[in-house]
Amino acid sequence: MEIPFLDTILWPIKWVVELILVAWHYLWTFIGLDPAAGLTWVLSIVGLVLVVRAALIPIFVRQIKSQRKMLEVAPQLKKIQDKYKGKKDQFSREAMSRETMELYRRTGTNPLASCLPLLLQMPIFFSLFSVLNNAQKGLAGVGPLNAELGKQFGDATLFGVAPLHDTFIGAWNAGGPWQVMLIAGLMVVLMTASQFYTQLQIMAKNQSPEAKNSPMFKQQRILLYILPLVFVFSGVAFPLGVMFYWLTSNLWTMGQQFLVIRNMPTPGSEAAKAREARLAKKGKLEPTKGAPAIESIPEVPKTTQRQQPVNKNRAKKQGDKK
Amino acid sequence: MKSVVTAIVLLPRNLAVLLLRGYRAVISPLYGDVCRYYPSCSSYTLQAIQQRGVVVGSAMGVYRIARCHPWAKGGVDDVPPVRRPKYQLTPFGFVVASHGKG
Repeated sequence: MEIPFLDTILWPIKWVVELILVAWHYLWTFIGLDPAAGLTWVLSIVGLVLVVRAALIPIFVRQIKSQRKMLEVAPQLKKIQDKYKGKKDQFSREAMSRETMELYRRTGTNPLASCLPLLLQMPIFFSLFSVLNNAQKGLAGVGPLNAELGKQFGDATLFGVAPLHDTFIGAWNAGGPWQVMLIAGLMVVLMTASQFYTQLQIMAKNQSPEAKNSPMFKQQRILLYILPLVFVFSGVAFPLGVMFYWLTSNLWTMGQQFLVIRNMPTPGSEAAKAREARLAKKGKLEPTKGAPAIESIPEVPKTTQRQQPVNKNRAKKQGDKK
Repeated sequence: MKSVVTAIVLLPRNLAVLLLRGYRAVISPLYGDVCRYYPSCSSYTLQAIQQRGVVVGSAMGVYRIARCHPWAKGGVDDVPPVRRPKYQLTPFGFVVASHGKG
């Protein structure tokens, strides 16, 4: 990469990426894998994903916690949704979003993750890209990936023929090896499938009926079908090693999403209904913890005073008064 | 003459508007609604650039993104309105000289 400004920013991240890669490589070698094999380096990349995604778990846990708390505000949320029911014009949508966000802020139940998890992963992605790019030229990294390891990484091949730094387009132009193209193609398919499944799960199962009517939802659905194209383009241009990072990360997201939708679905969504049905079947439908009943019975004021018995006529009169 | 000058003055922010509109149409929906604020960070930046130009608007956008993290409370956070709006917006979001007294 010939952008000095970007390199300066990425330097510390690159250093950490290299450290994690080398540490995993050391571990795999230690348990008996061939240090120069492509598989060992792929597993090191998988290890890198595990570390990065595990580091992001606290953010994720926080999201789940506020989602749990959302049960408490569900009645208020429903009130807002009812207020704007059937109103699909832009201004009503906007007003509804405003009220919903304000409710989240007031009650501290914001279920949205912000784009920080994504922003954090982007430099890691670019760093890996740059590390692989340098390794391709047999260059040492900026830190723990020394010249020897860098060369090894650069030379590492899958099945003895497909270098990890090679791209589909590179193999195409050089007229081979066809294995690179096959692996890249296969990964594009797997990536598309996993992303498709994750998106579909969220959209089909984990959205309230109101959200399904929003224009955003329709836009998302169109993009669900454009997404494979994005993967095809990037799959052609990215080195195999970077694709392995992306694919593993996608698979992690898929598993994480599956667990969340299963155990902590959005209130009112199909997944929530499915979960209730499942729990009811097992006979242990937990009472919605902390959630105030929507239609609570108005409390009868308690008095310590004994009620005087009254005769029929008076009771009738009192009844009339009410 | 005056309209030409205005168009040149507004060119950078209109380019930025085009860029942001493209981002909001193509890239933003890829990862869905994640912003903890209303309007979302990209929408906020778009409005800020429309009102105050590329430099100030971008800076406000960056500050907003920095404020948007999982530990922020979120909620409604509008761009502070300018005291005297000088321009008009087309339906697409381009900034043009306002008619009338401007």
